[in-house]
Amino acid sequence: MSEILGLWLEWLPRLLGGLWLGCKVAGLSLILGIPLGLVLALTVQAKSTVLRAATLVVVEIGRGTPALVLLQLAYFGLPSAGLTLSAMAASVLALAVCAAAYTSEIIRGGLEAVAAGQKEAADALGMSRLDKLRFIVLPQGLAVALPPLLGFSITILQGTSLCFAITLPELISQAYAIGASTFRYLPALVLASLLYAAICIPASMLVGVLERRLGAHHRA
Amino acid sequence: MNETSATDIRPLVLVEGLRKSFGSHEVLKGIDLSVQRGEIVAIIGPSGSGKSTLLRCVNQLETHTAGTVTVAGVTIGPDSASHDRELQKLRRNVGMVFQSFNLFPHLNVLRNVSIAQQRVLGRSQAEADERSMQLLTRVGLADKAKQYPARCSGGQQQRIAIARALALDPQIMLFDEPTSALDPELGLEVLAVMRELAEGGMTMIVVTHEMHFAEDVSNRVLIMADGEIIEQGPSREVMQKPQTERARQFLSAVRDR
Amino acid sequence: MLDILGNLVTGVPMTLFLTFGALLVGVILGIPICMARRSHHPVLSNLAAAVIVAIRSIPPLVWLFLIYFGLGSGILRLSPLVAALGGLGLITAVNMAEIYRGSLAAIHAGQWEASQALGLPRWSRLVEIIGPQVARISLPAVATYAIGLLKDTAVASIIGVPELAFKGTYLSQQTFKGLEIFAAVGFLYIAMSLPIAWVSRLVDARIRQRVAQ
Ligand SMILES: Nc1ncnc2c1ncn2[C@@H]1O[C@H](COP(=O)(O)OP(=O)(O)O)[C@@H](O)[C@H]1O
Ligand SMILES: [Mg+2]
Repeated sequence: MSEILGLWLEWLPRLLGGLWLGCKVAGLSLILGIPLGLVLALTVQAKSTVLRAATLVVVEIGRGTPALVLLQLAYFGLPSAGLTLSAMAASVLALAVCAAAYTSEIIRGGLEAVAAGQKEAADALGMSRLDKLRFIVLPQGLAVALPPLLGFSITILQGTSLCFAITLPELISQAYAIGASTFRYLPALVLASLLYAAICIPASMLVGVLERRLGAHHRA
Repeated sequence: MNETSATDIRPLVLVEGLRKSFGSHEVLKGIDLSVQRGEIVAIIGPSGSGKSTLLRCVNQLETHTAGTVTVAGVTIGPDSASHDRELQKLRRNVGMVFQSFNLFPHLNVLRNVSIAQQRVLGRSQAEADERSMQLLTRVGLADKAKQYPARCSGGQQQRIAIARALALDPQIMLFDEPTSALDPELGLEVLAVMRELAEGGMTMIVVTHEMHFAEDVSNRVLIMADGEIIEQGPSREVMQKPQTERARQFLSAVRDR
Repeated sequence: MLDILGNLVTGVPMTLFLTFGALLVGVILGIPICMARRSHHPVLSNLAAAVIVAIRSIPPLVWLFLIYFGLGSGILRLSPLVAALGGLGLITAVNMAEIYRGSLAAIHAGQWEASQALGLPRWSRLVEIIGPQVARISLPAVATYAIGLLKDTAVASIIGVPELAFKGTYLSQQTFKGLEIFAAVGFLYIAMSLPIAWVSRLVDARIRQRVAQ
């Protein structure tokens, strides 16, 4: 046991580096993906049929394709279209597309949860479409969407493990490399798992707390 | 600006041949209504008779199927032929108070009253807040300014909603059963505010189940049934000597309750 | 393009086998986990809750690696397919347990009392009265999960299970036509998820009808 603890201590900096890279990729994909998801959530309700249909196609492709395949498409596929991306850039791009598609549905749900009376009150006050969206619908809708968005952020962080397949040196790549060079796969992978759990468990608990808070707020 | 001056003798609200269908279900079957400046019109009638729909057509929360709605010189034709601009121009003159208050739960009371002044009238935050505090004082809720709506009673929320609508200096106020969601004693504080408004000369159309309000405060009562106005006239006359059988039945039914 | 599709399609049966295999493992294994989670025994229910949280907080690929490389290095050597079925089945099981738990909560308390009043033994109460209702209420969530699982099976390609994504990777290395190939792979996943959604809607409607009669 103490032998394994010693190994873990030795490996920890390297694995933490991998975890940090995963967090960066997840953070960047969300920073790009969530605003894009917001745009898709709005265009899917647009008056123009063309815009609505285009949005639906983008969302269905983004959600229907496995994240792994999106990653491979970005890293191994785009070069044959003349666009060569680093593993980091391809990871962020693919996961951002995935995030945009999923969060658009989450945000749409949040916006739809805003009571009709709220929109009517804004209309009756003569507020413009844009002001109604900005000051009335978005603040309330995004508050509803916040817990599931956080939940999805955890999923994206977990999804960065798939970047192993496109040679990004994230947590799992590091654990695998350690395993390959020492033949101690199990302890290396267990430590990697513990690191994931150490982030994801508290984060899901936070989501739960937020959900209950928000529920209480809405009942009030 | 001419057409909205105080000496104008044209009606403030003119509804002509108004029809409204939801799908194949015709809810308003040709309504004509004109409301003069300073008039207080009460609309009563059984539930489902189209009172709310009529009110919502006046400020175009609902588009109509045929006829015209004119408010303070802005005329809107059937089925959203009009642009957002026109709608906003019309709504700027019309305040509305809903049965379910519809305060913005994420904004405090002061912001609730100020936001449209800033965004619609272009007032500065300081100007808007000053006006809001005046109005909140008038409805007796200045001390609630920094609270969130959820912390206020239903009666307080409805009075805040009235202040919010008044903040845009509307020429007419529409009320859709403003006390129906409230316990009777909380309804009274709302009715008191409305009475005061009426005494101040505000033009009002009030859909209500409060027969006392209809009889004592309003100048004119309209009785609706099945999408039509079945009787209208000076409040006392309509309430005490209804001419049609249907109106008599409706009034005796609500009085028995 | 057609020959690419023709080549990739050979991976489809394995993808479907993985999906339904893991689903089967999960649907069955989910029952005892759910029962443990709902048990009145505090140790058992807390343990089940902890297991559920722990399994969910670790990404699917990591589970596959733990089983295939971790256990595989000297403890228990499994084929890629069995490792993938085990890992995906395990994750599915805890998610099924949570779906069942939600459905149980949705069943009206009166149903429990009624079946008790009928004097049915506890076991037959579960199997004959409660079980079918849980199945019925869970169906839409299970179908949604199955579509998600279909996409998750792509991770099995990384440990070498010859399913659709694996064929895609292999083919792209052979031909350097990555763009067309991975686009086609994505298209096939979407195409497979459509019938699952369709069948689940159909079955759902059927059951609804039968319940209504
Ligand atoms: N948005 C709507 N869609 C379909 N039917 C509606 C809608 N709003 C109102 N109605 C119908 O129109 C009729 C009149 O409703 P309403 O104006 O709310 O009546 P009142 O306010 O007098 O009770 C009712 O039959 C109601 O069901
Ligand atoms: Mg009504």
